[in-house]
Amino acid sequence: MKNISTTTIVEGLKERIVNAAIAPSVGVILPSNNYNDFIQAIGEYIKSRPADAYLYVTITNPFERVIKNIGGLLTNSNIKFIDCVSRAAGIETVDNRCIFIESPTHLEKILLDIMNNIKQWNKSVEKYVIIDSLSSFILYNDSILVAEFYTYLCSHLGISNTHIISLCIEEEMDEILNKIIYLKSDRILKVRESFI
Amino acid sequence: MGMIKDSKSTYIEGSSSDEFCKTWIYELDQRLGGGIPAGNTVLLVGSSGTGKTTLSMQFLMNGARNGEAGVFFTITEPLFKLTKNMEKFQFYDKKLIEKGMVNIIDLRIISDRLGLDAEKYSVEDANALLDVLKDIADELQVKRLVIDSITALCYRLQSKELIRDFIFKLGSSLAAMKCTSILTSEVPPDKLKYSQYGIEEFIADGIIYMGDIDRRGDLIRTLQIIKMRGTMHSRSKTAVSLSTAHGIELIPLLKSSR
Repeated sequence: MKNISTTTIVEGLKERIVNAAIAPSVGVILPSNNYNDFIQAIGEYIKSRPADAYLYVTITNPFERVIKNIGGLLTNSNIKFIDCVSRAAGIETVDNRCIFIESPTHLEKILLDIMNNIKQWNKSVEKYVIIDSLSSFILYNDSILVAEFYTYLCSHLGISNTHIISLCIEEEMDEILNKIIYLKSDRILKVRESFI
Repeated sequence: MGMIKDSKSTYIEGSSSDEFCKTWIYELDQRLGGGIPAGNTVLLVGSSGTGKTTLSMQFLMNGARNGEAGVFFTITEPLFKLTKNMEKFQFYDKKLIEKGMVNIIDLRIISDRLGLDAEKYSVEDANALLDVLKDIADELQVKRLVIDSITALCYRLQSKELIRDFIFKLGSSLAAMKCTSILTSEVPPDKLKYSQYGIEEFIADGIIYMGDIDRRGDLIRTLQIIKMRGTMHSRSKTAVSLSTAHGIELIPLLKSSR
């Protein structure tokens, strides 16, 4: 059972996501201490909007872990996953709701899979791509490459009327990533430990 | 025939124009400026595992699906191995083979039947083989032809003069039939060369280079059109995705890649 303070934090974060997610691109900068709370809040947000379509790109944690963290997320039939870390970590999970990328260095392949998935969605639904987390890419790639990846992604998602919510863990970020997330996001949600 | 205007999602069926032989790989045709000029001989160069055989087979299957018959001459891989590897791709359709729209022929069996020396071809041998290739293409009325690989064939031809003569004559005959051909060429990795014998690239009308870049120990497949006579083509290096669902797909290579 959740304690009251955790529930309050998650509810507070969810409210801020609801307010921010109307923007085409939202950058979320949060300390690692609040990471799990934010993931919970994102999960709640997705569950509350079953008519929308979601593509959840996971780099920080493997797909299985994300599913465990956000129980019941898969009740939304409009959610698909791209897992960028399981294969690189030697985890051989197979799940038809998830595309497993060989390595987080395969940025072009990730872009292609995002684009191919979005094209399959009904044009009339609200579409979201969630990157969890953009900053984790720089553990595997040069940050300038990640910045280029993100620029390309935002340009293409903008054309296809798809919202993008990009998480960045503060401790993982460097100057280049910080600059690009501010530059490319229509709205920045900066989470502080004293946020609530 | 101008630039392709179809979006990728609708880029499935249609017909190649007289001017261009479309690969029906949307991004590749875009970069080619419409497709491979019909009748061109294209050298598809790359080291092992870069996707040459897959792209060649996809070119034939896509063509067959759009009404153009093709033939695949294999010399590096036995037939059963080749088909077993290809069966996992969605673009590979056995029915097109059964209908005779795609023909797969083991060149070594033809050599055996012609009584040719397995290791070394004389001028007469080369001419006999050339005649057989032309006859097969003519009889099957193919518009697309693949030799996988020309390197293995050139190894048997041995002299530069023979290689030049063979490719030139083959290319000329096929061009007269408006048959577009892809000759795969194997080169060592990380070497800026387009053929093993240094001649093939001068005879070919086009060169498409498939390579790898190393990103922190992971290999990213790449493709670049080096030359293509008769078309205004892109010269940018692109990343290649190879999947069982889509076969070969291209996406711009991130420029910050080292």
